[in-house]
Amino acid sequence: MDQTMTPARTLAARPGAALLTAAALLVGVGGLLLAALTLPAPGEGTPPDARAWLAGILALLAVGAVGVRGAAQGESRAARTLPAAFTLILAVLGTEALLRAYAVPAGLIPTPGRVLSALWTARSVLLQDTYTTFVLEALLGFLAGTVLGLALALLVVRFRFLERGLLPYAALFSSIPIVALAPVIVKAVGLDWPSKTVVVAVTVLFPVVVGAVRGLQSASRLHLDLMHTYAATPVQTFRDVRVPGALPFVFGALKVASTLALISAIVAEFFGTNGHGLGFRIQIEVGRFGLDIVWAAIVLASIAGIAFFALVSSAEARLLPRRS
Amino acid sequence: MTTLRPSRVAGLGPMLIVALIAAALYWPLMLAANVGPAGRTLASGAELNCRTALACASQLRNPVVPAPAQLAQGFVRLSTPVTSPLALPYNVGVTAGETLLGLLLATVTGIGLALLLVASRAFERATLPWLVASQTVPVVAIAPMLAVLLGQYGVQGFLPKAIIAAYIAFFPVAVGMSRGLRSADPLHLDLMRTYHASPAQTYRLLRFPASLPHLFTALKVAVTSALVGSIVAEISTISFSGLGKMLAENSRASDTVALWVIMAYGALLGVTLVALVNALERWVTPWTRR
Repeated sequence: MDQTMTPARTLAARPGAALLTAAALLVGVGGLLLAALTLPAPGEGTPPDARAWLAGILALLAVGAVGVRGAAQGESRAARTLPAAFTLILAVLGTEALLRAYAVPAGLIPTPGRVLSALWTARSVLLQDTYTTFVLEALLGFLAGTVLGLALALLVVRFRFLERGLLPYAALFSSIPIVALAPVIVKAVGLDWPSKTVVVAVTVLFPVVVGAVRGLQSASRLHLDLMHTYAATPVQTFRDVRVPGALPFVFGALKVASTLALISAIVAEFFGTNGHGLGFRIQIEVGRFGLDIVWAAIVLASIAGIAFFALVSSAEARLLPRRS
Repeated sequence: MTTLRPSRVAGLGPMLIVALIAAALYWPLMLAANVGPAGRTLASGAELNCRTALACASQLRNPVVPAPAQLAQGFVRLSTPVTSPLALPYNVGVTAGETLLGLLLATVTGIGLALLLVASRAFERATLPWLVASQTVPVVAIAPMLAVLLGQYGVQGFLPKAIIAAYIAFFPVAVGMSRGLRSADPLHLDLMRTYHASPAQTYRLLRFPASLPHLFTALKVAVTSALVGSIVAEISTISFSGLGKMLAENSRASDTVALWVIMAYGALLGVTLVALVNALERWVTPWTRR
């Protein structure tokens, strides 16, 4: 913590340290890359002496970690973003090298290289699955749940009775495990993708309602009184005071809901599909020990999840007034 | 959640009325949902001891929405005998045990991570973006794979499910705890410094107590995700007990009434677990109560 206070310890003040850091990182990344490339992939040739390789790879990882630690010093933009990127590179290369050194069978844990090649060879099927899970189920369900949730929140705020009678149930329902809900809805609506969309909409609904209500009620008494003295109409008050005050809460809820949406779409697919979707693919390939396809599906699901989250975050950044 | 309820007693009346309205609407909604399938079943000439589609709506073997009588029967069928390993109470207990063990693991991991995050800025910058990204990743997708992997290394029984539950639940704990550890009053921190307190003393006397409210808020989120984790783990591993196993079995057998009953039990378990964490919070941090 004190590192922030003393500029003498930042990289900018010590160019020699920066050079050393860069050298450490280079040795770490380069060594791991070399190890990963020269080691025979599991299944090809005889497994080398694991203990010597372990020592070497751990040493390289340590060197890389020192580099990352150095890169994280200072306050520049690079110091805030580069370490994360380097950790990913080190983690992926280290995994590849370790898996190869220990000759772990691909049926158990596939190396990152194999996952990438599976991602490429099965791309058309996996992209189709991603489309079904992400666009048809998660996105559509998210939109439906959000619209419904906001409408419900407006009703709850408007009618005091609903606030006291309905809102506690919404809070209660959000502690229900979505997995228990999914099979019932899938059985009721059918095996096609709309059933999963409904599951997503239901899971998105509760956090949005709770967040939006809390936001709409967060307007300060003072501002409301001020609007009253201005003789503002209720519509004006709502538009100019309540809605802007509610937006941070709503977006907080939407961010939570965006990750929930994808998760519930995948879980719902575990309970029956007509043969499409990432959840279905994962379930069926685990059963056949095709773990490189499973990991490839997980990679795609992760990318979709991160993109979804980033989408909501960028909408938030655009719509929310900057805090001064 | 507590902020939503200004007063417990005053809120009960409207809640009761809404519950009554929902109960009153249940019968017509059930009929409306089941009439279509009932008509189709009748048209297919299946053995049903009823004439019209409307009369059959409450007697379908696989109803879309089960009739109250069917639900009650399902409850009795799945809950008795109470001690049987095939009945729901036992399986709910198993899932609850896995969830709590998972929550414990998640808490230990989360607090450890939080300590690292607070202690080292390099660690925070190098890993926090990936920890955040790991949450936008649908973590349940990893559960089936993790289950296979742990099974290969001979980890069996309670533990793999608890590990998967912990894997899903550790993040809120880590973030909440690190926020909590940083939430100590700067004035108090300065005071500790003037007392020449050691870092360990500062943590024990100031930072940990200050972090507890944050920790419990995080635990309430974590316990529901841990429950989801253990159920998903039960679905995707070869398990012989637990809610997830019952869900998977009855889903395969298309026993809709059983699915509804299991859902009700799952909801009950979720609410109970959150209430448990609430009770623990009130016991550990009595000073946060007004």
